[in-house]
Amino acid sequence: MEQHQALIDHLDKSLQGESSPEMEQLLSNDPEAAREWNYLLLAVDAIQEAGLQQQVATIKEEWKIQQAIVVKPTGGIVRRMSRNIAKIAAILVLVAGGAAFYKYATISSGSLYNKYYSSYELGTSRGAGDENAVEKAYHTRDWNAVLSGFNASKRDNKMDFLAGMADLELKKYDDAIEHFEQVMAVNAQSGSDYFQDEAQYYLAISWLAKNKVNEALPILEKIRANKDHLFHDKVAKMSFLDLRLVQYKENK
Amino acid sequence: MKVAGKYSDAELLAAIREEQDLNKAILYLYQQYAASTSSFIFQYGGSEQDADDVFQETVISFIDVVKKGKYRMEASIKTFLVSVARNIWFNELKKRERSDHREKLFERGRDQEEADISWQISDLEKRRQLRDLVHQLGEPCKKILLLYYYEDLSMKEIVEHLPYENEQVVRNKKYKCLQSLTGLIKGSPAIARQMGEVFK
Repeated sequence: MEQHQALIDHLDKSLQGESSPEMEQLLSNDPEAAREWNYLLLAVDAIQEAGLQQQVATIKEEWKIQQAIVVKPTGGIVRRMSRNIAKIAAILVLVAGGAAFYKYATISSGSLYNKYYSSYELGTSRGAGDENAVEKAYHTRDWNAVLSGFNASKRDNKMDFLAGMADLELKKYDDAIEHFEQVMAVNAQSGSDYFQDEAQYYLAISWLAKNKVNEALPILEKIRANKDHLFHDKVAKMSFLDLRLVQYKENK
Repeated sequence: MKVAGKYSDAELLAAIREEQDLNKAILYLYQQYAASTSSFIFQYGGSEQDADDVFQETVISFIDVVKKGKYRMEASIKTFLVSVARNIWFNELKKRERSDHREKLFERGRDQEEADISWQISDLEKRRQLRDLVHQLGEPCKKILLLYYYEDLSMKEIVEHLPYENEQVVRNKKYKCLQSLTGLIKGSPAIARQMGEVFK
């Protein structure tokens, strides 16, 4: 365990150009340490690959949006097209261009949040057991009672999720994000998936509410790619072109 | 359309190698070369989505090769990209077990001028598998590792980006996440096999 930590420290330092003769010696004398070291290097390669993939995908979408919103003149000579057809085509181009510009001007993360947000119905996807005070308050949509009933020392994923939903309903987006990320962090550590899909989806929605489409988009893409995800169908119906358009606007 | 600068081949390679505004260089690659590589994919039975995926993979491969200093100036960037895209598409067709007829068509297409990139393609599957393992991590882990090892942010900067209390919490979390990732790598039969060959 200690050796693994030392290897990671060495890795981080060597990535910053620092060297450690002791660690170099360990790596040349201890085959097991050398093996672990190679796995760590491979892990860094994997992360850099994933990062590059994400960066290229983002720029690709920017390029697509640029292509979609700007109507390029052809520059060619219209030979056989009659004047009327040319006029109609010009009007259509103007209308399409106008619509694209209107969309570009009016779209935002907030508008997408308003479009895609819908309340979570407790009990529709989970079995109804004995209800506690928080669940009862949630059923009656008494969001403040949900939050006051939430006890951090007795939290579990369900309680964190419901508190996150109450925060979302009350437009306390930062608090909502904290609860949803807590659910996902607990699952990541324990290897379980209790309320994972719900937290993941509403985390993306919370980021949209906060006008942070860069945070929302990777999560939504992940959900769209996973057919077994509880919210897959919902996300599949979203317009990713709109999301990319907002991303382009917000990154400008 | 906004044009992402104008690069000669040498300037583009330098921009990627030194990571000077990499976003602009990637945009330039799309503006200049996406259409010509995509037309090949359409010609050999691919859809728009296929062309989209193949060119994205091509750009990733190209950047990877340049960053690692493996790009040999034996052909123009365009020739290199088209060759990589062709090979990626060929491998994809093989995977999809298309008919012999289509593969014959493809093989005919391969007779044209082509850079020697077979060494790059053999690496492609491994890189895909590695990326998939990162995507298997939970979102918090993926984010922290990308910020540290890809964006090169310090612990202090990461604390500003993520809902963690202090740098020590981030450091512990990063340690656990990296451990999870190496665990996934060790548990991946294909990767383990490749590593086994390295350690022989």
